[in-house]
Amino acid sequence: MDLLLHLRYFRTVAEEEHFGRAAERLRVAQPSLSQRIQRLERELGVRLLDRGRTGATLTPAGRLVLAEADTLLDAADRLRTLVGRVQGGAAGTLRAAVPPQLGGATVAALLTAYRERSPGGELDLRELDTADQTAELTAGTLDAGIVRHPCPTTGLGFGPQLHQPLGALLADQDPLAAHPEIDVRELDGRELVLFPRAGAPALHDETLTACARHGCTPSAVREVAGIEFTRALILSGTQVVALLPRPAPEPGTTWRPLRANPLTWRTSTAWPAGRDGPAVRLFTEAAHDVLRETAGLVPTAPQRRLFPRPASEFPL
Amino acid sequence: MNTPVRSRITAAFTDAGTTGSLCATDIDTGAAITLGADTPVSTASVHKLCLVATLYREAAAGRIDPTTPLDIPAGGRAPGPTGLAVMRDAARLSLRDLASLAIAVSDNAAADVLWDHLGLDTVNATMKALGLTRTIAVHNQAGLYATMVTDTGRSGPAALVDPAAVARLTVLDPTRTNRSTPRDMAALLAAIWRDEVCEGPWADELRAVLGVQAWSHRLASGFPFDDVHVSGKTGTLPTLRHEAGVVEYPDGGRYAVAVFTRAASTAATLPAADAAIGRAARIAVDALRAGT
Repeated sequence: MDLLLHLRYFRTVAEEEHFGRAAERLRVAQPSLSQRIQRLERELGVRLLDRGRTGATLTPAGRLVLAEADTLLDAADRLRTLVGRVQGGAAGTLRAAVPPQLGGATVAALLTAYRERSPGGELDLRELDTADQTAELTAGTLDAGIVRHPCPTTGLGFGPQLHQPLGALLADQDPLAAHPEIDVRELDGRELVLFPRAGAPALHDETLTACARHGCTPSAVREVAGIEFTRALILSGTQVVALLPRPAPEPGTTWRPLRANPLTWRTSTAWPAGRDGPAVRLFTEAAHDVLRETAGLVPTAPQRRLFPRPASEFPL
Repeated sequence: MNTPVRSRITAAFTDAGTTGSLCATDIDTGAAITLGADTPVSTASVHKLCLVATLYREAAAGRIDPTTPLDIPAGGRAPGPTGLAVMRDAARLSLRDLASLAIAVSDNAAADVLWDHLGLDTVNATMKALGLTRTIAVHNQAGLYATMVTDTGRSGPAALVDPAAVARLTVLDPTRTNRSTPRDMAALLAAIWRDEVCEGPWADELRAVLGVQAWSHRLASGFPFDDVHVSGKTGTLPTLRHEAGVVEYPDGGRYAVAVFTRAASTAATLPAADAAIGRAARIAVDALRAGT
């Protein structure tokens, strides 16, 4: 049985709540559609729809299966799109990605800068977190990206590293918001909002370690992707603070830089190793300029003297 | 806003199933965070700090040459799980290299060669001269472990995880074994880092030796930062897990920290209890750095 096809038929019946209308939409004969739904019910061993005079309604089991069917069908669609990208690779189109929290102005500037450098060249730009970017760069569905370090490096080439300073996003009435800059130590014991770990696990851990290194151990860490939800959390709590690069201003919350920039995200362009053709090079040049000029990234962080420990087992 | 530092340190110990005491001092300002810092503790291998400090103090005073090589026969070594204690053949090592082994892997055999060469009295006199009057050694490593065999009888290693047998161990009683206090051990380290134990190249070498310890599961685990230098010496006996060391930040901040714990569990492997030493130390050091 073609499970995906049957689930697609089932989803249409569920949406239309009517076999006749669903059959029409799917351009199949109604008896054939009914048979397929019965076959799916036999396969799964549950009744999915109650057939009445006026139409078809979902059983409780049907509602569960519908929710799962959505997930499966979306994943299948994504798979087809990805494969399509690999096969197509539309000539003249560079498939590129930017990480979250880069800022809308930066993305707009990047698109403009690329078009200026590559007249007629198309940039298919998506927002992808670093974990997805490295996976897609390796898989060949992405030509170039802007990633945050540390990230997996096998099979990838990287442009020069830039540093994106982090600051604290606070409620306007938070006493710390009154100061032009904040010592990260003053955030010790607060509840911290940070991007979801799954999006860049090594960076998430490194950011928390750097916090600890500078005297800030949060009482709890909330993993939040969107700026809206982040702001809601900050405004609903008294001890909540988010660590992120300077966001677009919004009433209610205040972003403050951290004294001496102890926390920065290392950022660079990335591409599949050995595949930096002219379009990739134009993108990385444009990205480097935009990151410095629009996003305010800085080329170097102060050099640290390192103390490797005997447990590291190698001399330095 | 924050829970008081001492409550957070106590919670770090409690969460790991241990009780603990601590003394953390800012080596340059003398500011201190303390928790049971004057209660005597059985030092176990932390006492090797006193031994190695004494070697370098004697060297600086010209009474001993730490480059002197010693013959170490294959037999008659103090027992232990590392270093010369597990090696099979005769060796020849200088006093200071024996000190490195005693710190790097808590080598009991190497430590006992030093204990016997320097003498318990010399080490105790050195501590007294430094004002560490509550720091006293009554036996070398072999002597210490011999009391455990006597206390547990013939039951062998199994006795060391048997709560009833562990309760009989005199090495857990600070009045009957090598002992000190968290405050004394932090003071010894502060003195070493302030050049008060010895000066010049000997002082530099002593501090370098105290930085070669291989383990990082206790004090160092609380400071997983590549630009922070952690030196120290652990000490372990059934239910006891200790470490005393120095944490140095690149901004010049340096802190002597002594942490002594006792676990309710008699299990020989308790990673959470090891890590609690680092957690407690970092809470204290962060508080000292914040000036609270």
